Amino acid sequence: MYCAETRQLSHSFSSHADALKSVNLQVPGGSIYGFLGPNGAGKTTTLRLLLGLLKIKEGEVLLFNKPLRKQRLQSLAKIGSMIESPSIYSHLTATENLAIYRELYQCSGQRIGEVLSLVGLSETGKKKAGQFSLGMKQRLGLAIALLHQPALLVLDEPTNGLDPNGIIEIRDLLKKLNEEQGISIIISSHLLSEIEKLVTHVGIISKGKMVFQGTLNELTGKQQQSSKLILETDDPGRSLEICRQLELNVISGNGKITLPVPSREKIAALNRELVNSNISVFEMSVIKKDLETIFMELINQ
Amino acid sequence: MNHYFIHTVKAEWIKKRRSFADWLVLAGGFFVPLLLIIILICFPKQLLSIHASGHFWEQVFDKAWQMMAFMLLPMGIVLAVSLVVQIEFRNNSWKQVHTSPVPFASIYFSKLLVLLVMLLQLFLLFNIGIFLAGVIPSLLNSHTSFPAYTVNHVFFLERNLHYFITSLPMVALQYMLSLKFKNFLVPIGAGLALTTGALIALSWKYIYMIPSSYTALYYLQSNNPVPPAHNLLLWSLGYFVFFSLLGYWLYVSGKEKG
Repeated sequence: MYCAETRQLSHSFSSHADALKSVNLQVPGGSIYGFLGPNGAGKTTTLRLLLGLLKIKEGEVLLFNKPLRKQRLQSLAKIGSMIESPSIYSHLTATENLAIYRELYQCSGQRIGEVLSLVGLSETGKKKAGQFSLGMKQRLGLAIALLHQPALLVLDEPTNGLDPNGIIEIRDLLKKLNEEQGISIIISSHLLSEIEKLVTHVGIISKGKMVFQGTLNELTGKQQQSSKLILETDDPGRSLEICRQLELNVISGNGKITLPVPSREKIAALNRELVNSNISVFEMSVIKKDLETIFMELINQ
Repeated sequence: MNHYFIHTVKAEWIKKRRSFADWLVLAGGFFVPLLLIIILICFPKQLLSIHASGHFWEQVFDKAWQMMAFMLLPMGIVLAVSLVVQIEFRNNSWKQVHTSPVPFASIYFSKLLVLLVMLLQLFLLFNIGIFLAGVIPSLLNSHTSFPAYTVNHVFFLERNLHYFITSLPMVALQYMLSLKFKNFLVPIGAGLALTTGALIALSWKYIYMIPSSYTALYYLQSNNPVPPAHNLLLWSLGYFVFFSLLGYWLYVSGKEKG
């Protein structure tokens, strides 16, 4: 079951090219979904459409398997969100900010203390939110999103502007919320490295189109698929013949031989054959692409 | 709707705490009475003539409203309403409000209700100020004492109610403009242009159609023994309903909600 889903979602802003083209986002319940893409790829537009902040022109948005158009209030009651910068009333204290949303979400007053303690803002007292550091504002934004114990959290680049410690703190908190309370999370970012330690699922968007969607393991699988074996010997011609005899698929054979990474047994067999044929092996190494390179290739397709 | 409405009104009430608009209501309520106190202390002849008139409280009330009705009240409404709506734009909080499980109608009308309650607050403070403007100069003047004259309650309540009603169109119009334009200068500029324009056109025969002139027109009408040709109260209520509904339609039909 998907807790959030878009079907053929397209959008354009007046006088601009299509911001989104038939996006099919599928966020499984209980997952931490990393929504990745470079700046301007359409992440925020997708999330704003998902939350009803933009009027849907084409396609459909389903939240908890129900169309947003028909069940807007019921769906929003189960969602906590922080889109772009946190929405905080700077002339009010953290408690007063939360008191506003406590009224709107109609939850108990006790929750204010609980979420303040959860995000580490219990000691802010009468300090106005406008005097908070960026990190504190982000945490207060997160507290607002968590106030009503949502089933789904939608966070648009929540670690923007945070120092490394702050990023780790937020990451640990989100992991804890997902594991202990079963909250599904959609977290957008333009940096894979920032969220790869957190997410279970990944969606990559580029120029308004989804270019990859699946589990993190599937993305890692792509890494395996795109790995190469490099072979350098003193006799490339005979080495090529041996590769073909062993039914290995050679990609290029100019000087160095490049081939998709075969099984461990085949690598051993290849090495044995080369040595038995008196061919000197200078290099036999596996070149792995890191996830960041795969991500860059996907968004530049 | 009712179920949500009480909660959104409470939320809106918290939002305006310690805001500029809140301070403006406080300062606006006492500004004219303070001026009147200074005038009556500096020009004791005026105070003596009010005491001698036989309608002490009516005259003090009238003097205060003379300063308030023409410029300060409409300008105060323009500023306070724009400041209240600007709280959401300045704090980038529309998106959070609009992703809360609350109907748009609740959000729109609760903000409008809070604005009307703030207007009531202003009237209350203004009347307290008027009382002080009658008492303080009288006590400080050696020829007068505490003005223990009979108070015509009906006169005060009726006049206050009428000024309140004639203020309503500007509240609704300014609310509509402030919601529509993110840039603070647009609604403020439009509101101030309407207010000063109405003052310039005060003798125009169709001035009764310009809602920003209504508090000034009501002041003139209430001091004129000739019955007015147009019922300003009905025009005010009509404009208030029209601008409130038009504002709601523009708000709900907006393509972007933050």
